[in-house]
Amino acid sequence: MFKPQEMTRTLLLGAKQDLEHTIELLHSLDIVHIIDFKAPDADQTLHLGAPTIKASGVSQHLLKVRSSAQLLQLNTENQKISQKHSEKQVQQDIALKIQDMEQNIQSLMEAKTRLEEHFRKLDERIRQLEPFASMDIPLEDYQGYGHLLVYTGYVRDLKKLTETLPTLTTDFELFTSGAEDQMIGLFIVKHHGEDAHKLLNDCSFTEVKLPEGTGLPKQFIEKWTEQKKELSEKLLQTTKDILECRKRYAEFILASEEYLTIEVQKAEAPVLFGTTEHSFLIDCWIPTQQLPHVTETIEKELNGALYIQQITSTHDDEPPTLLKNPKPVRRFEYLLELYSLPNYRDIDPSFLLSFIFPLFFGLMIGDIGYGILLILFGVLFMKLFKESEGFTNIGWYIIIAGIFSSIFGLFLFGDMFGLPFMLTHAAEGEAAYSWSSLLGIHIPIPSIIHKMESLGMTQLLVISIIAGTLHLGLGLLIGFFVERKHNKKHAITKIGLLMVLIALALLIFVMADWTIGQWIKPLRGTAVEPVLWGTLIPLVKSGISLGGLIVPFITLVFGILGILIIMVVAGGFGLVEVLEITSHLMSYTRLAAICVAKAAMAFAFNMIGLGLILSGNILIGILGVILLIFMQLMVFALGALSSGIQAVRLHYVEFFMKFYKGEGIRFNPFGYKRKYTSTE
Amino acid sequence: MADAGIIAIGAGVAIGSAALATAWAQKTIGAAAVGAAAENEKMFGKGLIYMVLPETIVLFGLVIAFLLWTKM
Repeated sequence: MFKPQEMTRTLLLGAKQDLEHTIELLHSLDIVHIIDFKAPDADQTLHLGAPTIKASGVSQHLLKVRSSAQLLQLNTENQKISQKHSEKQVQQDIALKIQDMEQNIQSLMEAKTRLEEHFRKLDERIRQLEPFASMDIPLEDYQGYGHLLVYTGYVRDLKKLTETLPTLTTDFELFTSGAEDQMIGLFIVKHHGEDAHKLLNDCSFTEVKLPEGTGLPKQFIEKWTEQKKELSEKLLQTTKDILECRKRYAEFILASEEYLTIEVQKAEAPVLFGTTEHSFLIDCWIPTQQLPHVTETIEKELNGALYIQQITSTHDDEPPTLLKNPKPVRRFEYLLELYSLPNYRDIDPSFLLSFIFPLFFGLMIGDIGYGILLILFGVLFMKLFKESEGFTNIGWYIIIAGIFSSIFGLFLFGDMFGLPFMLTHAAEGEAAYSWSSLLGIHIPIPSIIHKMESLGMTQLLVISIIAGTLHLGLGLLIGFFVERKHNKKHAITKIGLLMVLIALALLIFVMADWTIGQWIKPLRGTAVEPVLWGTLIPLVKSGISLGGLIVPFITLVFGILGILIIMVVAGGFGLVEVLEITSHLMSYTRLAAICVAKAAMAFAFNMIGLGLILSGNILIGILGVILLIFMQLMVFALGALSSGIQAVRLHYVEFFMKFYKGEGIRFNPFGYKRKYTSTE
Repeated sequence: MADAGIIAIGAGVAIGSAALATAWAQKTIGAAAVGAAAENEKMFGKGLIYMVLPETIVLFGLVIAFLLWTKM
C-alpha cells in the first residue's frame, strides 16, 4: 500500500518463427510493460524490429472503419452494446461487410451533401430575387436599353427622391416596392444619369445587383420555394436513412474498430523489440508478484521456445510505476497524479492523502450545514460527470470532506451555516443569533471552540501548529526512510530538520501555555498526572527568558543540535532549509485563517440577512430570505473552493517536498481492455 | 496597556501589506501558470503549487495581526 508494486526486469529471447505466437501470448497476458528497444551504439547485430506483414492491411481497414464512424458521428468510446462480439465473428464480418458499409455510407453522405448544396443554391437565388418580387416587372425588362439607365436598390429617403426627381426631368419612370424596405427601380434617360446618380447618393441609395435570368421574379420564387420544400423532405429522409444506417452498423463499427486496433497494436509491436536476422529480443518489466505466473504460462504455451532471463535492476533503471491500493484509497491516486505520478522508488502517499486531505478540508469548513451541502454537492457532481474519471474522483473527495466537515461542525464548533446552536457567554446580551434562540427550542450542542472569539482563534492557531508539526514530522520521517539507502547526507539532514521542527513547535507550545493547559486540565487526577505535571511540563517549560519570551532549554538544545547537524552535513546552504521548515510550519496557520475567515463572512451575512427577515415587514422579510440564501451560497462556494485548494497545497508544497520526487513512468502493459469483443 | 487604536491600525497594516505582497506575487505567477497549463495539461498540478506559494506571506501578516490583536 505504501510502495508501488515491485517490478522485475526480464529479457525474452526467441527465434523469429515464434515471434507472432509470442506477441499473441504477451498481448493476452496484458501484464508485461515493454521497454522501447534502443540499440547500443557499438552493437551492430541488433536492430529495431519492423512491423509484421499484416500491419498495412489491417491499418487500412482500421482507417476505413474509423472514417465511417466519424461520418456517422459515432463516438467509439463508452457505448453500450447488446453483447460482446466474438473475435472470429468480427473477423469474418470485416471481410464481408466493410466494403458494403463503406459504399453505403459514402453514397448516403454524397446524397446528403448534394441535396444540401442544391438547397443552399436555391436559397441563395431566392434571396437575390426577393427584393424584385414586389415590383412585378419581368427581369428582362430591366436591361437592354440604349438610351435609358436603370437603377435598382434600396433608398432610405424615398420622399426626397420622389419630390426631387421631377425637377430634374420628366423622362423617367420610378417603381417602388411599397414595402418597408423601400426598394426602387428607376428608369431614367441617359443624359440625366449623372444628376440622378448624385440625387440617389443624397437619398442614401444602396444598389442591389440584378440577378441573371428572365421572367417574373414572383413566379420564380414560388417555383423555387416549392422545390425547396421537396428538397427538405428529401433531406429529412436522407438524414433518417443515415440514422438508420448508423443504427445498423453501430455494433459492427464498435466491434471491428476494437478488433482492428488490437490487431494493429500486435502488428506494430515488433517496433519495440530488438531483432537480428533470425531472432528477437524483448526487454520488459513484469510485476514481481506475477512473474512466476507469466514465466510458467510462456513456458507452457510456447513449449520452452523462449529463453527467459531476469536481470537485477541497477539504480540507473527506471522501472514503471503501478500503484496498489484498496479501492477507497485508489480514488485519491488521481489527486496524487495531478501533482506527479510517484517514482518507482517513492513512497506512495495515496493512503495518507486519503484521510489527511479531507481532514484538513473538513477542519477549514468546520460546519455541519456546509458539510451536508458538500456531501449533496459531491453526490450530484459524481452523478453529473459519471463519464469522466477525474470529475467523479473530485466528487468523491467533496463527499468525504463533507463528512469530516459535518463531524467538526457537530462536535467541535457546534454551528450550522455560520450560526452556533447555542449562544456563547461572551455574546449573550448582544444582538447575536443562535439556532436555539431563532427556533425557540434548546439545542444542546455546545461550541467547544468559538471561531469568532479571540480565545477560539488562539485555540485554532495552536491546533494548526500541532497539525503542522505532525504532518511535517511525518513527511520528514518518510523522507529519512526513503533517503537512508540512497543518500545518507540527505537522510541525516532530514533528522536535523526534524529536530529544528520539534524545537520550533515546543517554543510555540510554551507561548500558548495557557491554551494547552486548558485542554489537558481533565487529565489532572488521572494516572498520567505525575508524569505530566511532575516531570514533562516542568521540563518543557524550564528555559531562559529572552526579552520577556521564555525559550525552553529543550528548544535551545534541539534547535542548536539540529542546525549543527544540518550545517555539518549540508554546509551553510543547509540553513536555507531551516528557514524553509520555519515558514512551512507557519504555513499551517492557514487552517485557522480560512476557518475563521469563512466563519466571519458567514457571521456578517447572517447578521444582515436575519436582521432583514426579523424586521417585521413581510416584503423586507422576503427580500431578506432571498438575500440570505444567495449570500450563504456564496460563502459555501468560496469556502469550499479555498479550503479545497489550501488543503491540496498543504500536501503538494509542505508535505510532499519532504520526501516525494514523483515523475514516475506509468506502467503500461502490452494488451487491451476489451469492451466490445471477446476472444471466445 | 498601549493605545488600542494604534494597535488596531498596526494589525491592519500588517495583514493589509502582506496581502498586497501576496497579490502582487500571485498576479505574475497566476498568468504564467495558466499559460503553461493551457499548453500542457500536466503542468496544472505544478502551476497550482507555484500559484499558492506566495500565500504564506499573507499568513505571516495574519499571525502578526493576531498577536497584536491579543494585546489590545
